[in-house]
Amino acid sequence: MTKTAIQVDHIARIEGHGNVHVVIDGGEVKTVEMNVVEPARLFESMVRGRRFEEVPYIASRICGICSSSHVVTDLLAIERIFGIEVTDRTRALRDLLVYGSYLQNHATHLFVFAAPDFLGHKSVFPLADEAPELFEQALALKALGNELCTKVGGRSVHPITAVVGGFTHEITPEEYLELAEKLESMQEFAVSAVDLFHSFECPDIQTEGDMLAMGAPNRYAVSDSRMARFIDAALSFDCDEVDRAIEEYSVNHSAALCARVRSTGKPYFTGALARINQSWQFLGRQAKLAAAKVGLRPPERNPFNNNVSQAVEIVDALERCAELCRRLANDEFEGSSEPVPFQVKAGFGVGFTEAPRGALFHELELDDEGRVVRASIITPTAQNVANLEADMRILAEKLVADGAAADEVQLEIEKLVRAYDPCLSCSVH
Amino acid sequence: MNENTNVQGTSAVPRVVVVGLASCFGCQLQITNIEAHLMEVLGQIDLQYWQLASSDPMPEEFDVAVIEGAVTTEESEHLVEELRQKADTIIAIGACATTAGIPGMAAEGFIQRPGSVYDLVPEACGEMISPRAVGSVIDVDYEVRCCPIDAYDFVDVLQRALYGSNKIDSTATMCGSCKRNETGCFYTKGVMCLGLVTRAGCDARCVNLGRPCNGCRGLSPDANLPAAREACRAAGIPVEDFDKALEMFNQTDPALRQA
Ligand code: SF4
Ligand code: SF4
Ligand code: SF4
Repeated sequence: MTKTAIQVDHIARIEGHGNVHVVIDGGEVKTVEMNVVEPARLFESMVRGRRFEEVPYIASRICGICSSSHVVTDLLAIERIFGIEVTDRTRALRDLLVYGSYLQNHATHLFVFAAPDFLGHKSVFPLADEAPELFEQALALKALGNELCTKVGGRSVHPITAVVGGFTHEITPEEYLELAEKLESMQEFAVSAVDLFHSFECPDIQTEGDMLAMGAPNRYAVSDSRMARFIDAALSFDCDEVDRAIEEYSVNHSAALCARVRSTGKPYFTGALARINQSWQFLGRQAKLAAAKVGLRPPERNPFNNNVSQAVEIVDALERCAELCRRLANDEFEGSSEPVPFQVKAGFGVGFTEAPRGALFHELELDDEGRVVRASIITPTAQNVANLEADMRILAEKLVADGAAADEVQLEIEKLVRAYDPCLSCSVH
Repeated sequence: MNENTNVQGTSAVPRVVVVGLASCFGCQLQITNIEAHLMEVLGQIDLQYWQLASSDPMPEEFDVAVIEGAVTTEESEHLVEELRQKADTIIAIGACATTAGIPGMAAEGFIQRPGSVYDLVPEACGEMISPRAVGSVIDVDYEVRCCPIDAYDFVDVLQRALYGSNKIDSTATMCGSCKRNETGCFYTKGVMCLGLVTRAGCDARCVNLGRPCNGCRGLSPDANLPAAREACRAAGIPVEDFDKALEMFNQTDPALRQA
């Protein structure tokens, strides 16, 4: 029997550097490895000893695409320690910032990174000639995400205005209304994108790992709940307890720190698919309709459907952000966004948000001058790598059993990696 | 040189590669964020390799290499040397590549750091070396500063690299342009702002939005550090805080040690 080794160095169209290594021997899948080869950047050691104000600024440089999420998560950790209660208006602005990054991330991932796979291209650029309308609308959607982040955060990557206690700058009511209109006008395209991604054919596999997402009693929460939940294990925990719920471990073939559910030892998925499973019933009206139409509803365990889930979240984000913008313009939220006064104190706190790619935790310990004693960051991709490897194996075994050739196995595995929307630079600490 | 001739003096479309080292990808994202201009710019160049956006492999020959990120491993040190050999023009983009930026913060006491993040440093991290700017490994022809870069600055520099220009980057500190914006100075409120010693060129972007400058364009060669420390003292800001804050984007700048 033949032995086939599949080696893909530097998988393209993902953020970061990663290699795939698969060995098939005599019709049996022997090795399946996802090697993250990203150089370590040692963020946790860099923030040690630095003042709290600098931490969100530095931590956001872990990842350009989820920079808004890193900033908000860090602010939440700091505010937890200082006992700061921010205003509803500030909360609304943070939601906008996080949703803005959903639009940026999901549109980039779906159209620039994932779609070429299904349309038989190596990059998104040929689409400019082939499907100019799709190409233009996709770019417009991404541009709108950038605009939202720029209007709220001052810049489309690495927000400037979000600080401890509030925001240093806000746009005018007219600008909010203008944004709301733009968001609403993208809705039709976003709904059609759900159909488009549903129409792409994907292997029928089911992940065996658990799923982790933010939970809240009555909403599709992304930045304002402290409760995290493992869906299969039916385990809910406050984010301050994250170390007790999640076990991080390192493996030699990858620079990423991996993660599993501490109580069950299972790897797990976090990201749009997990959020859809957790909070489906709280999707906005249009998003729920779009999801129902393509049959996306819990329990959904095919990791390839993370793509469709992201498309549904775009519809949801547009709807939600338009409403937030209108309410901000009409001054419907209590309080102003001006940073609230606070007192620096020592303590430990965890910030938690749903970044575009999944649950993001920042653990922070400060001394009484507000300097970092210890910091630990658990990113979505770091949490996902172990489950991705497990799913790669499930996929390879299925394809080999179906008699697929090596190049097909390789292509489908690359597609799966991209469906996970990994950010390998994030996964390395 | 006429408009249609590039630096190589031929009318062939310049072949460009974009490479990311240790970075957050933010600067490359900024480039993808100028959708409208992107196609226009792409029309003038032949983009041969951009791992972030395409699965085409890196070619053997090209004219321009755009490098994002700091050099933090032996592998990337060799890579930039190779890029220097192959390319006529090297453009370093972002604070990471131009000043070692945020990754450069790890340069201080580098040796003990990996062990404090990982129990066992994974082999896949590569042979780590103390972080440094691209310009401290190879000669760099053009720089686009800031963290992240302004995408239009990049287009501007790319045009200069392709068609030549006499424009000289200003080395002045930011306060001049900031004063013209009439936002008032943070020091009068007892708040530290690194614009005092940071290169001008971003039009005091952060100060305009109510936030002090963190110095992402890097230390200005014209900066007067002793005078800046004096200004801190006068405003009741601990000088240690100022020095510590400066490390954020200038850790590997020898000027910090001298002054
Ligand atoms: S300069 Fe800043 S935005 Fe650019 S890659 Fe480095 S950390 Fe990211
Ligand atoms: S120190 Fe900062 S706020 Fe003051 S003038 Fe200079 S750049 Fe502006
Ligand atoms: S104001 Fe300072 S920190 Fe902000 S973009 Fe300009 S140089 Fe960078």
